[in-house]
Amino acid sequence: MLAGFLVIAYSLPFAIGIYTENVFFDRQWLADLATVVLNGVMQGGVYAMFAVGLTMIFGVMRIINVAHGEMVMLGAYLSWMSFFWLGFDPLLAMVFTLPIAFGLGWMIQKFLLNAVVGGPELTPLLMTFGLGLAMIYAVEAVFTTDFKSIPYAPDSFQLTETIVVGKSRLISFVMALVISVGVFMFLKKHRIGKAIRATSQNADVAMVCGINIYGIYMVTSGISAALAVAGGVLVSIQFGFNPETGIIYTLQAFAIIVLGGRGHYIGAMIGGVMLAVMESLISFMLPNGTALVEIAAYGLMIFVLLIRPRGLMGPKTD
Amino acid sequence: MAETNEIALQVKDLKKHFGGIKAVDGCSFDLPKGKISGLIGPNGSGKTTIFNLMTGVLGADSGEVVYRGENIVNLRPYQVFNKGISRTFQITRIYREMTVFENMLSASSMRVPESEAREQAEKLMEFVTLTPLRGEYGGNLSYGQQKLLEFARALMTDPEIILLDEPAAGVNRTLLQNLLAHIHHLQEEEGKTILIIEHDMNVIMNHCEKIFVMDYGVKIAEGLPDEIQNNEYVIEAYFGHK
Repeated sequence: MLAGFLVIAYSLPFAIGIYTENVFFDRQWLADLATVVLNGVMQGGVYAMFAVGLTMIFGVMRIINVAHGEMVMLGAYLSWMSFFWLGFDPLLAMVFTLPIAFGLGWMIQKFLLNAVVGGPELTPLLMTFGLGLAMIYAVEAVFTTDFKSIPYAPDSFQLTETIVVGKSRLISFVMALVISVGVFMFLKKHRIGKAIRATSQNADVAMVCGINIYGIYMVTSGISAALAVAGGVLVSIQFGFNPETGIIYTLQAFAIIVLGGRGHYIGAMIGGVMLAVMESLISFMLPNGTALVEIAAYGLMIFVLLIRPRGLMGPKTD
Repeated sequence: MAETNEIALQVKDLKKHFGGIKAVDGCSFDLPKGKISGLIGPNGSGKTTIFNLMTGVLGADSGEVVYRGENIVNLRPYQVFNKGISRTFQITRIYREMTVFENMLSASSMRVPESEAREQAEKLMEFVTLTPLRGEYGGNLSYGQQKLLEFARALMTDPEIILLDEPAAGVNRTLLQNLLAHIHHLQEEEGKTILIIEHDMNVIMNHCEKIFVMDYGVKIAEGLPDEIQNNEYVIEAYFGHK
């Protein structure tokens, strides 16, 4: 049913595009379409990476972390600071920005979330909501609400005669792919990764099997924060940002994990790419498409929740 | 193997109430070291709650569980596990989306080198004849195989005390004999202390050296199988007044 729905969802921009005479099927239009889809895949790879962080927290602790996007925003500012204040390449600076993020996530878990995990669902939700707002206002206090950007690799790659992609976008995608695969392999192969998966499947059993789930919660939050900050770094070299940008990324990550399946890592990756491609198609084919992108993305989220609440790959029961 | 009079663990006046329900209401017993013991009682008598209190899954209202001279009641489950007490559940609780081998490794202490944990997992999978299924997802196993997996997983850290909650439930006779043979091997060859909750009286009477009987959250009798079979309080608990 979901597959059928997605086919319709993907066909719809084409249908509207044909109706509004925005689809031409000539050589140039097809090349533009390929460029748009390719850019969507690449952007989706970055979104998917930080969405995995959100889905990890939900999967392991059943906490809805609405401050995740603010962590992405913080990553963008860390990137900006390392570039303009310290003179580091933002990507190389991840050598220290990611450990900082991991430590921050660890501490948030230890001192805040561990106190409320397992309790009523509303408490951690409100706590992360408050945390997100505190992060926005703290960054605003230092940097104001002005938009910032990083002039990083502004030129493009000519992939074929007609297909061009921005260098910063391609670099971001490759980095996101490397990080995502690294995290996936860690979860699959490393003992701590296995303990995270075990806790995600059943925390009570994990505890009687000797797993210190509170330690696992802290590692999970650390990884989640590092993924968000990595996402922020990769976004910062492509787009402008200000302290309120994070809200968009929180919503984006939610849409991705609803589509892919809450608590499912591969689902989040697939959901990220699917959503970004859909957004690209809409902005390319529909008149005034850019304005409709967000409506379509969250409309898709609502429909998936209606017809298949567990998403593409989520477990049958929560 | 072990001297029969030694005590592996003491439960002292343990209490756990859920609102007005007295699930465990002042239960005490001494678990003999190196023996297979049984914990029986009618449904709702508090047997599984006792396991949950002994393993930290539930916190006790009062009372003690003394193991190696230390009161371990209200420790967290992973702390109890790491002290050498492991358990299985009435309804199997394996990781359905992890392979048999991953299920086994999930119960290894981080302090043990990974190569050692892998070796132990291989040994135990062979012990319970699950080696051919090592790459199979837990959710794809039959119920009996899941029981064996949970049993093997409980042995990963070479625990001193093993608590088995209804190991015979839902298991066919062949598999049950296999499981009982493993349990005896652990007791006779490795000196493990084993406590079994079971409704199958054949298992209890033929395989346990000592039996504790609970009713309404308290221990109403303890003794050898012959003594328990003729105990009037036990008969009353199971069959009511004459």
